[in-house]
Amino acid sequence: MSGMEYLVRLKELVKDYGGRKALDGITMQIEEGEIFGLIGPNGAGKTTTLRIISTIIKPTSGQALVCGIDVLKAPNEVRKLISYLPDEAGAYPNLSGEEYLKLMASFYFESGKEIGEALEEGRKISGLGERLKEKSSTYSRGMKRRLQLARTLMVKPKLAILDEPTSGLDVTHAYHLRNVIREYARTHSTTILLSSHNMLEVEHLCDRVSFINEGKLVESGSPQELKSRYGAQNLEEAFMKVVGVA
Amino acid sequence: MAKEVKDLLRDPKILVGMILFPALIYPLMGAAMNISTGSVIETASANMTIYVIDDDGGPLAFTLKEFFRGGNFTVEAVEGDPASMAASLQGGDVLIHVPSGFSENITAYRRADIGIFVNFKEFSMVEFIKAGRAEGIVRIFEGAITNALISNAFPISQAEDILNPVKIDYNSVIRGEAQPINPETLQNTMRLQGAMGPIVILLVLILAMQVAATSIAVEKEAKTLETLLTIPVSRLSILFSKLIGSFTIAFLASVATVLSFSYYFTTVLGTATVDQGLDLSVLGIGPSSTGFIVLGATLFGALLSALALALTLGTLAQDVRGAQSLVGVLMVPVIMPMFFIMFGDMSSLPTALQTALYLIPFTYPMLASQALFTGNYGMVFVGLAYMAAFTFVTLYLAAKVFSSERIMTARLSFRLGRTK
Repeated sequence: MSGMEYLVRLKELVKDYGGRKALDGITMQIEEGEIFGLIGPNGAGKTTTLRIISTIIKPTSGQALVCGIDVLKAPNEVRKLISYLPDEAGAYPNLSGEEYLKLMASFYFESGKEIGEALEEGRKISGLGERLKEKSSTYSRGMKRRLQLARTLMVKPKLAILDEPTSGLDVTHAYHLRNVIREYARTHSTTILLSSHNMLEVEHLCDRVSFINEGKLVESGSPQELKSRYGAQNLEEAFMKVVGVA
Repeated sequence: MAKEVKDLLRDPKILVGMILFPALIYPLMGAAMNISTGSVIETASANMTIYVIDDDGGPLAFTLKEFFRGGNFTVEAVEGDPASMAASLQGGDVLIHVPSGFSENITAYRRADIGIFVNFKEFSMVEFIKAGRAEGIVRIFEGAITNALISNAFPISQAEDILNPVKIDYNSVIRGEAQPINPETLQNTMRLQGAMGPIVILLVLILAMQVAATSIAVEKEAKTLETLLTIPVSRLSILFSKLIGSFTIAFLASVATVLSFSYYFTTVLGTATVDQGLDLSVLGIGPSSTGFIVLGATLFGALLSALALALTLGTLAQDVRGAQSLVGVLMVPVIMPMFFIMFGDMSSLPTALQTALYLIPFTYPMLASQALFTGNYGMVFVGLAYMAAFTFVTLYLAAKVFSSERIMTARLSFRLGRTK
């Protein structure tokens, strides 16, 4: 497969925080249209990897390409293609949910028609109905996360980067969000890169996954491949075998 | 930028605390003072009873009582020990004791005693004003007697010439031209009119810096910064939006405060300033349009550099409270020049202190505001060039921080500059 067929390519990515290596030579590729999961325990380097691809932080060495564009050389171009949902994302508390979605859409689109369409899409994805007219400061954690997922997907990015999208949510909200992600990726051919330490969730959602541990990528493949490769019942068990605990 | 201004204006803390509160506080203070002063004046100027123990019974004691009647007093004759009698009166009542020999002493060119007893019960303003009214009548009486005695003793002279034998003709030479103005009046006028400039400049700088310093911390607190950094908008656009947003809020807050303060100044303190109303522009030392342009340029430069410094410093804070504490550090160089320039004279300061003040860019708008009246633009023009360089450097630093990951990762710790 040639380089241009991958939507995301990471080559020997290293991130050194003054003596502490958060990433230690990560190399991986994500194909267009797939849901790709980055799995690992807390502090493994998942968020650092996503932040580099999202142009928030810079790698100490190595290369990260989105649609063949180097995140270091042309970050503004990369930002036009991606939409990022941070692990802990908030909205502006003095704006209503709808005003927030409209504001964020205006950064991606110029014409009122396009902004209106994105807003309508956001309304649908969030499923918040009339509550969208209320200030976001009145929302529960689950509602805030729905709003953020709507904000991330409504702009129809080439690559949606979701950092722990269902972390800390109750089963109802988590279920809604997982369905939206799966449905959206299928209908819009959007590539999704998500991180999670909930391996069972990833197993049901992702086409391919990579295990990351202590800044290193230790294994990659489809959930089915990984399970059969390590003779595991589920991804959690496979991960434990890969890192040598089980 | 629209997002920045809109979001700031929707924040009740900013809208109420920085715009509505300053806009209302001075008129409310003025209204409260007007109401209480009005009622005090009304009470004090109404007809008032004066109690008089006349142990003299002479013609001048009679004249004094007539003076009181002419001053809207009702004179009530009483007898007995003055102190005991005064103690039995109402709060604010005044008793005059005219001792025996009062008229005789005055007509014989000897100093005559008179006793004024004021009964204070609440020590209120009304009681003090009543006491002052009574003394005022006694002083008018004294002036009339003085003139009468002098005219009697020196029939060929004017009493005024004997009382004030030396008359000073004041002249202030301004821009080479002698003007019949008392230097004290000139100083008071210039101080009064010149004080407003530095105060407003200080206000604008402090407000703008506070908004700027907290703008990134607000994003961090609301967990919106990470998202903001990934939207398809350049980091420089974010920086300039924050600068313009902070400037707009500071400008609105300053306008609200200045209008409110001016209202208070003219309605409450207006009567006190009428006497100082010299028209400086007629004397050739009023503000010129060039002066305002220079002031505007220095203020713009100072604002830009202050905002850039505050924004950069604000990125180190994790929350709004931290940002407010950090920006407190910048308040010292902002406030110092104002104190030295408003209450002193730069040229009379020690050289080291002068140099230190000239190195602070916020000194120059203060100097420019003073130069509006003095016309001394020498150091202001030098300062403009210095400020341009300083502003460029601060903006460059802010742009570097904004375009790097430090905006996310910088933390202020005991080891400054280390990143997480």
